[in-house]
Amino acid sequence: MLLSDDELWALSYYRTSEINGSLFFGRLARTLKPSPIQHDLTKHFADEAQHAWYWTDCLDRLGTRPIKMSDAYQDQYLEAAGLPVNLMEIMAITLVFERRVINQYARHLAVPNVRVEVKETIERIMEDERWHVQWVRDALTGMEDRFGKDTIADTLRRYRQADREVYTHTLAEHEARLGFLLDAHPQACED
Amino acid sequence: MPTPSNDEITERIAEVLGVAPSRVRPEVVLSELVSDSYRLVEMAIELQDDYDVIFSQADLSSVTTVGDLADLVRTRAP
Repeated sequence: MLLSDDELWALSYYRTSEINGSLFFGRLARTLKPSPIQHDLTKHFADEAQHAWYWTDCLDRLGTRPIKMSDAYQDQYLEAAGLPVNLMEIMAITLVFERRVINQYARHLAVPNVRVEVKETIERIMEDERWHVQWVRDALTGMEDRFGKDTIADTLRRYRQADREVYTHTLAEHEARLGFLLDAHPQACED
Repeated sequence: MPTPSNDEITERIAEVLGVAPSRVRPEVVLSELVSDSYRLVEMAIELQDDYDVIFSQADLSSVTTVGDLADLVRTRAP
């Protein structure tokens, strides 16, 4: 059975978001000087690119092709929160974003009768996502002396607020397409 | 490290952005030198790394031109 239009849209949206994440981290990895952050960020960039491939392959195995999309979740994100201007802000926005990604994929896994190809793809990605949250959290802890613990906490608060706004906006904008996810796991909307 | 001069910082901005130094004059608006806003983020990260300074969003919201940015770096540099 072919994917529904809504499922195809959602999986294509995930793919585009992974591509945009990869491009963002790739540029940053190119910019940074050698350091433990550069090391982990380069792995993060490679993971995101790999995830985009997983979704492309998943759609292929499901007998379809991704919808071409220009914008991704991250674009709205940066618009709402403002462009990060230092490495700490980049780490903070990444931590908030990665938690949102994990939440979203968990919600998708809760869809009744989720296809095995989709389930396998999400589970594979989630292994990396957990590491992403861990390394970014550790990096932020390591920045406390330089940026100040309170400043980091304030920054995280600001990005969480932006995240909630963007997520609510995204759900409202694409309500018809994402309805199958909302029905599956409504409590996951709260973060 | 001695406090960098505006000329040195301007030279570095040209290098980081990969544009001809002759285009990077103090009065030039930064957004005219880059193709997208991510490039400005990358430049901010590199300058902070180079000169051991920290920028905040509030700092950069008042920066429009190359000269503004050079002033910001110079006044913040240790």
